[in-house]
Amino acid sequence: MASGVTVSPSGVTASHGGSRPPLRRARAAAADRRLGWLLLTPTLAILLAVTAFPFAYNLWNSVHQVNLTDPNGGGFTGLGNYRSLFADPVFRQTLLRTLVFTAVSVATQIVAGLVVALVLNRSFRGRGWVRAAVLVPWAVPTVVAATSWKTMLDPQTGFVNQLLSALHLPGADTNWLGGEWTAWVAIGITDAWKTVPFVAIILLAGLQVIPDELYEAARIDGAGAWHSFWHITLPLLKPALLVALIFRTLSALLVFDVVFILTGGGPGNTTETLSFINWREFLVSTDFGTGGAVSVVLVVLSLLVAAGYVRLFRTDEGATER
Amino acid sequence: MRVTTDSSSPRRTQRHRLAAVALAAAVSLVAACGGGSGTTSSDGTETITVALTGLGPEGKATTDAIKAFERANPKIKVKVQVLSTDATQYQQQIQQRLIAGSGAPDVFKVDGIYAAAFAKSGWLLDLAKVKADTSKFLPTSLTAGEYDGKTYAVPWFVNTEGLFYRTDLVKTPPTTADELVTAAKEAMAMDPKLKYGLAFEGAKYEGVITAFMAMAGGFGGKLDPENLDTPENRQALAFMDDAIHKYKISPSAVTGWKEGEVQQAFSSGQAAFAINWPFVFSTTKGTPTEGKVGFVPFAGKGATLGAEMLALNAKSSHTTAAWKLIEYLTSTDVQVSRAIAAGNPPSVAAAYNDELFKEAPYFKEVEKVAKVAVQRPVSPAYPKVSDQLQTMLSSVVSDLTAPDKALSDAASKVRDAANG
Repeated sequence: MASGVTVSPSGVTASHGGSRPPLRRARAAAADRRLGWLLLTPTLAILLAVTAFPFAYNLWNSVHQVNLTDPNGGGFTGLGNYRSLFADPVFRQTLLRTLVFTAVSVATQIVAGLVVALVLNRSFRGRGWVRAAVLVPWAVPTVVAATSWKTMLDPQTGFVNQLLSALHLPGADTNWLGGEWTAWVAIGITDAWKTVPFVAIILLAGLQVIPDELYEAARIDGAGAWHSFWHITLPLLKPALLVALIFRTLSALLVFDVVFILTGGGPGNTTETLSFINWREFLVSTDFGTGGAVSVVLVVLSLLVAAGYVRLFRTDEGATER
Repeated sequence: MRVTTDSSSPRRTQRHRLAAVALAAAVSLVAACGGGSGTTSSDGTETITVALTGLGPEGKATTDAIKAFERANPKIKVKVQVLSTDATQYQQQIQQRLIAGSGAPDVFKVDGIYAAAFAKSGWLLDLAKVKADTSKFLPTSLTAGEYDGKTYAVPWFVNTEGLFYRTDLVKTPPTTADELVTAAKEAMAMDPKLKYGLAFEGAKYEGVITAFMAMAGGFGGKLDPENLDTPENRQALAFMDDAIHKYKISPSAVTGWKEGEVQQAFSSGQAAFAINWPFVFSTTKGTPTEGKVGFVPFAGKGATLGAEMLALNAKSSHTTAAWKLIEYLTSTDVQVSRAIAAGNPPSVAAAYNDELFKEAPYFKEVEKVAKVAVQRPVSPAYPKVSDQLQTMLSSVVSDLTAPDKALSDAASKVRDAANG
């Protein structure tokens, strides 16, 4: 999150100053500022090269007809790529599907992560070990996790169905990745398995800065557990919740690897997401125009989400700090 | 999460930003132009670069052949770039090099289904420029390298997807789909170890298309992007669906199977029939199915052709030396020894000779299947066509859409994809 970095090149002036006359001091300050910016140039150049340049390039792509298999064709199309994208029912379905997945998965992951964080925040024997163990799924690369889950979900040889059958539970012959809903359940579980620990750790950090005195005071005032959770824990957890929500929502909007490994977008195209279409337009169809348009849609969606969250939480956050 | 920006000198910031943009542009320009072609040293030795893939026996066969080529041509040095063994990743890696406009690799392998797209993009050299003689190749496999009446790639080795069957359980190979269903059911009743009648690739990837094409061929249908919704294709698609959901000779798990799972089910003795590629022969060694394997076209006439092609980079400055390497790799002797060592079916007709059949008799069956095998549509838009077909087939085998409806829906989409 580069935007969180606070840089003030003029800060170097602190080491100078003293008894110099005002004019020289001002000139020295200006020189220092120049030096500051000079020192920052490499960082800025890299940031621009890896973020601004690709974005500008995609923006350009998205308003042109660029297909690598057609080196001579092309030209400016204005909003043509966007228009044909939104006219395509498959794209609209995928957009809706991605939004629904984002909403459902983020909501469940935040709730589950909060529960885990609350448990880990209590003191019990071996808490350090448990905290470390909880983080393990987060440390496993997504591709590895998804491949393992795929193996476990195999209808004939997979662990999941064998467990169900051993426990005489229904669904022991489910072809998990072969049906639309079961495939989404599998994707949701795989994603949650990896990300709930992440949410839990962020929220745990938020819980630990809440002073115990507040809870004591509430207890003295006669507040129950539920009451203090609702009026102390939750409001004070808002900054941490905001971080968790932004991170999780953005990566859920962009979900690709889990889907790619588990289902390849199938059965049919029922588990395809926006990033999946993006990948396909760029790397399968080499249609950089349409691919660029999908990228821009994703960026706009991400910005809207981030801005929405910040707005939603800002006033309250200010109030609690004061 | 507070976002703080330095607002002390907006104009200065702007100017610096501009400078940084210029720098970034310069950096990416330099990167794009890097990576030249091979070199020629003062003593006249040329170095060419070749991009290939391959593990185990395949990789060794390639390295051996390239070493022998260098011995036979002391003035040419060959640098090998080993890329991903995953076909999709390999194709993307090659594509990135070509998009960047690099002259290296001079020679590379390209999957038959991408050759036309690469040729249309202007990345491949018209082989007439190196006076290529293509008469030695199997004619069916050569078409994949043609675009706009010119030849841009030649087949390195071919691959044929057909029907494997267990010779101990099936006396005469079925000549119709109905016979196959009956034979599969009989075999399952006869051998309790059999779990499946027919195994095939049903996962959403390229393999589901090649499996379908073998079936379609058996019904007399074909994969014509302009005319997909034919009665024969409808029958084939219905068969694919029914094999799982009506006849129950194929498990529902095939919706996630690629050629690896199909091969495992067959060579471990769990399936009476399997639609798969010739590599299955070499995998049955030491398994219960060793020596009990037959290979025929599906329903007497359905088989799919896959070809690994070799092409020259249009930006290469060593085309003559590079073409020499291709000629060497596709010479009869090299093809025969590769077929024996790595099981890759030769792409030149003369390689199907007694020497090959003595060492690996199954190539007689492969040759028969190869003769009827049909190429996938040769079109620069094939990647898009493939995508539509994969979605359609996946939704049929998963029982999401009825075959007839899926086919009629897909027909117009495939036509659009092929023309757009």
